Amino acid sequence: MTDKLLHKTSRTYLVFALLVLTISAPLFYYITDRLYVDDADEALLLRKEEFLQYALPGLKTSEIPIWNKFNRDIKIKKAAPILNDTLFYTFYFDTLHNENEPYRELNGLVEVEGKPYTYSARINLVEAEDLMESIALLFAFIIALLMIGLYFISRKLSQRIWKPFYETLLQIEKFEIDKNSNPLSANTGIEEFNRLHLSVNRLIERNLSIYRSQREFIENAAHELQTPLAVFQAKIETFVQRTDMTAAQAEILSSLTESASRLNRLNKNLLLLSKIENESYTDKQPIFIKEAIEKLLDFFTEQANAKCIQFKTDLDGQAGMVANPVLFEILISNLFMNAIRHNTPHGSINVFLTKNRLEISNTGANRPLSDAKLFLRFSKLNPSGEGTGLGLAIVKRIANLNGWKVEYTFENNLHYFSVSF
Amino acid sequence: MKILLVEDEKELADSILSYLKGNELVSEYAANIESALSKIDMYDYDCILLDLMLPDGNGFELLKALRKMNKTEGVIIISAKENVETKIEGFTLGADDFLTKPFHLSELLARIHALIRRKNFDGKNVVRFKEIEMDIHAKTVTVNHQPLDITKKEMMLLLYLVGNQNKVLSKAAIAEHLSGDMADMLDNHDFIYAHIKNVKKKLTEAGCGDYLKTVYGLGYKWQND
Repeated sequence: MTDKLLHKTSRTYLVFALLVLTISAPLFYYITDRLYVDDADEALLLRKEEFLQYALPGLKTSEIPIWNKFNRDIKIKKAAPILNDTLFYTFYFDTLHNENEPYRELNGLVEVEGKPYTYSARINLVEAEDLMESIALLFAFIIALLMIGLYFISRKLSQRIWKPFYETLLQIEKFEIDKNSNPLSANTGIEEFNRLHLSVNRLIERNLSIYRSQREFIENAAHELQTPLAVFQAKIETFVQRTDMTAAQAEILSSLTESASRLNRLNKNLLLLSKIENESYTDKQPIFIKEAIEKLLDFFTEQANAKCIQFKTDLDGQAGMVANPVLFEILISNLFMNAIRHNTPHGSINVFLTKNRLEISNTGANRPLSDAKLFLRFSKLNPSGEGTGLGLAIVKRIANLNGWKVEYTFENNLHYFSVSF
Repeated sequence: MKILLVEDEKELADSILSYLKGNELVSEYAANIESALSKIDMYDYDCILLDLMLPDGNGFELLKALRKMNKTEGVIIISAKENVETKIEGFTLGADDFLTKPFHLSELLARIHALIRRKNFDGKNVVRFKEIEMDIHAKTVTVNHQPLDITKKEMMLLLYLVGNQNKVLSKAAIAEHLSGDMADMLDNHDFIYAHIKNVKKKLTEAGCGDYLKTVYGLGYKWQND
């Protein structure tokens, strides 16, 4: 399970706070108790001082019962065998509340009219459970406050401090090498983010320049090939005109002609691909798909007939969209030519067009094609085949450019290619 | 008819010139804009074949110069550049046609014929070969003045064959000519068999001479002897 960064840090803080609070609660209790008892002892000693100073000199033995009667907390009892002041805990039963109450008591020796007596003073202490309860409540309150505080602070933080980070994330997620994107701002107000943005920008810039130079290379290479290809083809054609050729020579020339023509086609398709990538075809117009297909249908029927392939179409006349007509024509042509090329003789092709989906199915090899490599350049099923290995790459490119979805499926021994507009 | 070829690639120029030889065409050659301009200054041409990337400048400069000189030569641009902008610029500057390298020599010849026919258009755009008469405009063909039932593609093929008479035409060249813009899509040229067969059959049935020959292994030839 993955967590948001912020949740992780705030959770750590929270756990730490809980830990600290739980450990400190007993400590707090102990210290409070200690202070409290010390205070009580001090009070008891002070009270005794006062007693010795003010009350004792005038006290007579006959007054002791009266003293005891009206003094609840300081009693004078018969002498017990103690010499020094002693402080201790003790319990007295509270008849009013019907429970034992904790007390701190001081016993000491005093003399009243020369006779020894035991001085006994006590202070009612808070019950331990009461103290614990108060402390627990206090701590619970602190914890609750901490949690609420942390929650709001982390929310605020995620909205403010992490905002540029999330924006960066979104931009990187949306990044596509062949589309222009704005560089990330290097002024977020936070050093780490500035560094991140700078590095990401550098990375993107490097990739873009590599991509561009590769694109340019393909285009230049294809362009440079045009002239020697033209010479090559012209020479062959000139040679073909000779009348003194043997059958064997003619055969060689014939295969040279075919190769030249294939080379030519390959180069043209490479050029086309790089032109699409250089966004040479940007002007868009409304297209009626049925019309566009029917315009090309003669050509495809002609090609299909040469292989005795049945062509069936079911086209919705309403289907239309806005796109570059040249590119759309190229897309359709490549899909159709593919269906013809990889078909079996006497096979069939079905073209089915609904409002926003074009589906072309054809007979062919009785096993599905590997779709991982299907749309890659030069990933040909049959390396020595007639195709250039660029057709589907071009289809994919055009579809991506327009935000269409191209899919391949294999069902009932039919190969389906579909484009969703 | 006089043709001027402006092309700096010597090897290609040689092939073009040798292909154009005969066919009632007289061709001359210039390797750069300067020599082309001096030739244009002296002679009138029916058609100029113009490469764009020349050692002493862009072929477009020649188009501009032609305009200044009030010359009305037909111009076919033959270039390795084929982007839309280049084409549009070429046509705007007065070029009549645009052929991207590499091309079939037979295609070039067909384009030259078409251009010259358009230039000399006098209300009737007709190509004659012995008993065959093709009205390009009306898209009709007659053999011995009898109308021939022929499809658009078949007529296109016939015109191409006649235009390249006595030349061996490869299947690829014919297929690409018949496919026009779709030529780059072709990976199989077998569909032309049906068209060749039909044309041959229709012509024979109409009592036409047997001009369309198969050249073993290489293609076809329209024989004029």
